[in-house]
Amino acid sequence: MTAEILKKTSSGPVRNWFRGVLLDWDRTQMLICFLLVGLLALAPLFVHSTYYLGILILATIYAFIGISWNIVAGFTGQLLIAQIIFLAIGSYTTIVLFNYYLVSPWVGLLIAGLVAGLCGIVVAFITLRYGLKVDYFALFTIALMVALRTLFLKWEFVGGAVGMWFRLTDPSFDKMIFATKAPYLYIALGLVVIGLLVQYRIYRSKMGKYFLAIREDEDAAAALGVNTSLYKMLAVVISAAMAGVGGGFYVMYVTFIEPPQVFNLGLNVEIVMAGPIIGGLGSLAGPIVGALLNKPFAEIMRGALVEGRSGSSLIVYGSFLILTVMFMPRGVTGVLHTIYCWIIKRFTSDEPGDDQNGAA
Amino acid sequence: MALLEVTGITKRFGGLVAVNDLNLSLDKGQILGLIGPNGAGKTTAFNMISGFYKPDEGDITFEGKNITGLRPDQVCKLGLTRTFQVVKPFPQLSVRDNVMVGAYNRTNDKKVARQKAEEIIEFLGMQEMEGMTASSLSVAYRKRLEVAKALATDPKIILLDEAMAGLRPIETDHMIDLVRQVSKQGIALLLVEHVMRVIMSLAERIVVIHHGEKIAEGKPQEIVHDKEVIDAYLGEVEIDVKG
Amino acid sequence: MTPEIFFQIIVNGLFTGGIYALVAVGLTLIYGVMVIVNFAHGEFLMLGIYIAFLGNSLLGIDPYMIIPIAFVLIFGLGALIQRGLVQRVLDAHPLNQIILLVGVGMLLVGLVQFFFSAEPKAIHVPYETAVISAFGLRFAIARLVAFFASMVISLLLYLFLHFTRTGKAIRAVSQSRDAARLMGINVNFIYYLTFGIGAAITAVAGVLLSPNHRMIPTMGQGYSVIAFVVVVLGTMGNFIGAFLGGLIIGVVEAFAGFYLGGDVKIIASMLIFILILLFRPAGLFGRKRA
Repeated sequence: MTAEILKKTSSGPVRNWFRGVLLDWDRTQMLICFLLVGLLALAPLFVHSTYYLGILILATIYAFIGISWNIVAGFTGQLLIAQIIFLAIGSYTTIVLFNYYLVSPWVGLLIAGLVAGLCGIVVAFITLRYGLKVDYFALFTIALMVALRTLFLKWEFVGGAVGMWFRLTDPSFDKMIFATKAPYLYIALGLVVIGLLVQYRIYRSKMGKYFLAIREDEDAAAALGVNTSLYKMLAVVISAAMAGVGGGFYVMYVTFIEPPQVFNLGLNVEIVMAGPIIGGLGSLAGPIVGALLNKPFAEIMRGALVEGRSGSSLIVYGSFLILTVMFMPRGVTGVLHTIYCWIIKRFTSDEPGDDQNGAA
Repeated sequence: MALLEVTGITKRFGGLVAVNDLNLSLDKGQILGLIGPNGAGKTTAFNMISGFYKPDEGDITFEGKNITGLRPDQVCKLGLTRTFQVVKPFPQLSVRDNVMVGAYNRTNDKKVARQKAEEIIEFLGMQEMEGMTASSLSVAYRKRLEVAKALATDPKIILLDEAMAGLRPIETDHMIDLVRQVSKQGIALLLVEHVMRVIMSLAERIVVIHHGEKIAEGKPQEIVHDKEVIDAYLGEVEIDVKG
Repeated sequence: MTPEIFFQIIVNGLFTGGIYALVAVGLTLIYGVMVIVNFAHGEFLMLGIYIAFLGNSLLGIDPYMIIPIAFVLIFGLGALIQRGLVQRVLDAHPLNQIILLVGVGMLLVGLVQFFFSAEPKAIHVPYETAVISAFGLRFAIARLVAFFASMVISLLLYLFLHFTRTGKAIRAVSQSRDAARLMGINVNFIYYLTFGIGAAITAVAGVLLSPNHRMIPTMGQGYSVIAFVVVVLGTMGNFIGAFLGGLIIGVVEAFAGFYLGGDVKIIASMLIFILILLFRPAGLFGRKRA
């Protein structure tokens, strides 16, 4: 079908490339994502306030974590609500390795991913072994989060209730300590790019199709040869590992961690859930679009309604979540998709692109 | 040795015996019909054969291998695929992706799976709707999609659970045709059907179940005149003797 | 561990448990009828306690007098939330339901935080330190009253559900939505009613909690989690299970608090929760919800 379009219009390699991309919604989404990444990369040139740069950095980190959640909740439809557990484990791993053993955070991030991934295996195994479905799975993850919070509160090695401060020294590349904000933004963007590519590869591969099949109808998937338990576990582990890496970077950026801060449902909603949901759960562009819409907006609201009037960001997040579920179940990306289909129909005589999988 | 050998399978749900000591066998390339009044246990039998239920008693052998108690995906990998009475498409995925999931049963390669999916979609005459989401299809085409997905798994046997239910006569004719073509490819078929016309025209042999037990087995013409079968069905369905 | 301490812990546990029971009964009612886990449930308790604060600090009314007001107000709010929002997602993917309710919860917390600030507050009443001593044990008056009030309210709700026409209609819907509809019951109306009652009862628990109790906008979450434990323990949808479960968890927590310390006692409930989810998800009273 793409070939037909190519024949119809004037040729030229750039044009052909564009058409190859624009007629495929998945590729178009990736284009949007990379445009956003590109804009963010240019941001330090235009944004000089450390406050606003900080917001963008957090939004970028949130985008990465959002991608990790998108894989488990968006692709396979598993209700792993308290994803923040894996972020927290990653954070603690990284900061402990650095503070106690002087392990470079670059390595620490990888180990954090590994540790979080292992925890993911345990969680997935328990859930599958004991058949925790839907609501029960969601509640289980919440119970785990609360239990872990209590345990970490009492665990002196990781600072207990006092938490851990990152051992700040002079700026140094291998300690991931920088004098300005910009390097943090670029590392975060690097993570996001890796995340986007991983997400895309999974989505287009057999694993991705199996993930989606499990979400759509688990029994039907099993009847077609999908080992649903295996793939559900894979999704959790990949997700957890990613969240662990993200958590490792998160703690290096905020330089501090304590149990009530990080084993926290509010933070879970803010970092893990709000972005992908508002952006479009199950879509490729959802996590990054959502994170970039959410965080800055919430921060601006918080700033605009200052005078100690807190709660405004909660009002924003809460309202966004409600409005999204009620009116935009496919999120902003879903709306973009509708516009996209309309444009394609208008300018070509064919049905729009391949792999019209749509968002969750 | 038969391709599929079901021996003495029994399934109880609490105090209710849904299927009791059922035997049947299916040879390569054969079409076997499984009929019976509503609630006779046909779908339960299907569920046991395809791995969705574990039989309380009895064995199921496929190509000489004991597959009793295997998971549904394992059974599918071995070459036995089932469809569902109430069709189960992947609603938000495109027709192509739906079929590709089945095609991935035999390959890990995306291109190969896609190729196979497109062939099967063409075989079923659904090329026009390849990119459409499954949820936007009509009932008749959803039933076709169900068959397409099963075909894509490259099975030796397909268990078709009421593939014709809810179809208009002309759609039913198309489906019958389709099923014949599938059979011509050498795939054995176990059909559960309520529509007599379909069973009579397709099945080489028929097994009749009532209250979870086999009450008759034989060629279509024999079954139709069997007293027990007629009693079981009295008031249920009009048996069109002309087939 | 002397007998006095032992029984004192039990008494304290029961007092807390009474509140838990009330909250859990509200949650299980909503689940039983609409098969939806109200992730914003704790927020209704928080609203109740803040209503008590408002009534007390603005108008000087005694918290116990505020109970009916809180009930009516939150009943209305609950019914509104159900009608305007929850109704639309009743048949949607569970994730959407969860997200909607999480969003509602966040919104409520945000609003309270906006108007009251995140600073801890408390109501003070003249009798807040009053204690009755009997059988060698000490009973704080405020908590004793709260306990009896929860018992009475739970009993009233039980009677309502079992002996009034509307109550029976509610139970009918919880058993089979379609059958109830066929019998002429206005199922949608029952949904508004149930959500309203569930929310209102939880708010009343909040009011009962209010004397000298530290209140912050985010306090609801903790109660939500405890309510989940209790409801699963007592079997989702089971009134008596939720009631007894609340008392049990209250006592368990009291002992955990004694042996492990106040900040860690929640681990006991979490352990119970996890064990139940793994080994007896249908709860103490067996029958899993269809």
